[in-house]
Amino acid sequence: MIRRLKRSVLALAVCLAVPAAMAADPVRIGIPVGLSGANSVVAPSVVQSAELAAEEINAKGGILGRPIVLEVADDGSGAAGAQKAFDSLLFQKKVDTLISMETSAARNAGLPIVSRGKKPYIYTSLYEGRSCNKYLYCNAPVPEQMVAPIVDQFMKKFGAKTFFLVGSDYAFGRGMLKFTREYIEKNGGKVVGDEYAPMDATDWTAIISKMRSSAPDAIVMSTAGGAPNVTLTKQFKAAGLKAHIGNLSVDEGTAKSMGADAEGTYITASYLTTLDSPKAKEFMAAMQKKFGANLKTPNDLSVPQYDAIYLYKAAVEKAGSFDSDAIIKALAEVSFDGPRGKVQMSKQRHAPLNMYLGQVQKDGSVKVIETFNNVDPGEQCPNLK
Amino acid sequence: MIATLLDIVTSAAILYAVAAGLLIVFGVMKIINFAHGGFLTIGGYSALAVTKLGWNPWASLVFATGIGFVAGMIIERLVVKPLYSRPLDAILATWGLGIIIGQLITIAFGREVQFVQSPMSGAIEFAGASYSSYRLVLVLAATVIGVGIAALLQKTRLGLVTRAVIMNEDLARGLGINSGLVRFFTFSLGAALASLAGALITPLSSVDPNMGVPWLVNAFMLVLVSGVSFMSLLVATVVFGGAQVLVSTYVSPVLGGLTIVVAAAVLMRVRPQGFSRE
Repeated sequence: MIRRLKRSVLALAVCLAVPAAMAADPVRIGIPVGLSGANSVVAPSVVQSAELAAEEINAKGGILGRPIVLEVADDGSGAAGAQKAFDSLLFQKKVDTLISMETSAARNAGLPIVSRGKKPYIYTSLYEGRSCNKYLYCNAPVPEQMVAPIVDQFMKKFGAKTFFLVGSDYAFGRGMLKFTREYIEKNGGKVVGDEYAPMDATDWTAIISKMRSSAPDAIVMSTAGGAPNVTLTKQFKAAGLKAHIGNLSVDEGTAKSMGADAEGTYITASYLTTLDSPKAKEFMAAMQKKFGANLKTPNDLSVPQYDAIYLYKAAVEKAGSFDSDAIIKALAEVSFDGPRGKVQMSKQRHAPLNMYLGQVQKDGSVKVIETFNNVDPGEQCPNLK
Repeated sequence: MIATLLDIVTSAAILYAVAAGLLIVFGVMKIINFAHGGFLTIGGYSALAVTKLGWNPWASLVFATGIGFVAGMIIERLVVKPLYSRPLDAILATWGLGIIIGQLITIAFGREVQFVQSPMSGAIEFAGASYSSYRLVLVLAATVIGVGIAALLQKTRLGLVTRAVIMNEDLARGLGINSGLVRFFTFSLGAALASLAGALITPLSSVDPNMGVPWLVNAFMLVLVSGVSFMSLLVATVVFGGAQVLVSTYVSPVLGGLTIVVAAAVLMRVRPQGFSRE
């Protein structure tokens, strides 16, 4: 007993004596992401992007001398899984920040936990916009940056007048299509159908029937990223309908897995593999070198993840500490010149971005149709300072 | 109009293919096999394996049926048979079994959603409407399954024996029928049918380790209202499948997903014997 007591005292003393060693403690970056469920189609590419960023930063001495350790947790692509993932990352793994691409359902469920955990959270997925929280930043596109190129292409170039909107029944699908509807109506177009299926729906029969009976000129899709996109596109293709297709939630990686079924679909993205800036090429080469044959196609949902880790690094270095408030202030002020060009989350927690209108080709690659430089995200969080 | 009608027929066909295996096990064993969703998942992943091996997608139907049958045989011997005298425990065991199958598949194939190559794509002109050709093939498949089961039960010695066990197991045993063997065969057949159904539905959607669960719930409801008759199962799938399509089309797909469960509950309240004649 006494001996054990002695030993614990000794252990305690050792613990107290190591703050010097604490400096080399890793920076833990929590990545709650949909390894199962709808997002599981893109999640591996997101994790790969993060791994490359961490490796590059660690090779150059980490963040303020501390190496990065990634803590990946499955959020199940939904609210219930996200609560568990955020909780365990923030309170058990004690992560220093959360940086992740997720569904809006998962983000919304996680935000109250982030508020309790008081750590910066960079959301790296394109989304419906107007998610505002003291700890939240987003470096990916919002409707103001995504909708106009597709709708303009259909209305001005193809003379489309009637639109059918279809999405997943949650914040993202509804938010994105509400914006789309307003934009179409403002420009004199008509929305002839506006339908939603549950987030995990695999059967789109009824909605495709409605499309058939309303015979729209163009269809805009906005499902949860990944699996629902593929099932909707496949079943739409099988139904043999003719219309221009725009998709607000398909990324290049998912487009690849759909192959010929997605041919002709218009998308908007802030990153495409065909970008030929030196930074984009450098990034692609590094990804290919690191992952070789296992590389998942980098895409508009995974590249912001890479950027965000660098943005976090820059913010910590500017703040000069790991103090949450200081980092949050600095996040708006720092920028990162990466594969998507220079990204700075300077506009109400969101970032002006270079956007591309692309069209999916037969082999799943995306051809750039038009480029829009430095598109403003608009009024996102006017009440957050 | 034609398209809606086709939607109803094809949806009913899919439901029939999914529920048939559950019904035959229920008829003989008087237990709802909650591992049915698991067997369906096994079928989906058999189709995925065929895609990955680069075989002809049609081969997945034969492959999935075979895998399902073998899995059914093993599971009947190891898990279900020792529990024949304890039906409630057997139901619980099949529930657990469904979870175990899901986990094993997660370990083997990963937890992410994956996609199976479709044996045919595109649409064909049918009765004046262009319609998904694969969904029409499903109607054919469901018909083959239905006719096959009917022929098995009505025209073969095995079917005769099986019907005897369904009607009165004690009496059948008294007459020298090996009811254990009948149970063994039907459970394996049920598993094979579930697995085949899994392989049939995946080209339309996607596979993930929990893909069987929503189908299990609908199949369970259909079996509850069908008694043990394949004729009433046919009626039930057409009526409920039709209701599902109509609600999804004219009200909302979100409510459409609930239609079968709600309609079955209401039907059981109004007419406890459901669609069966007794």
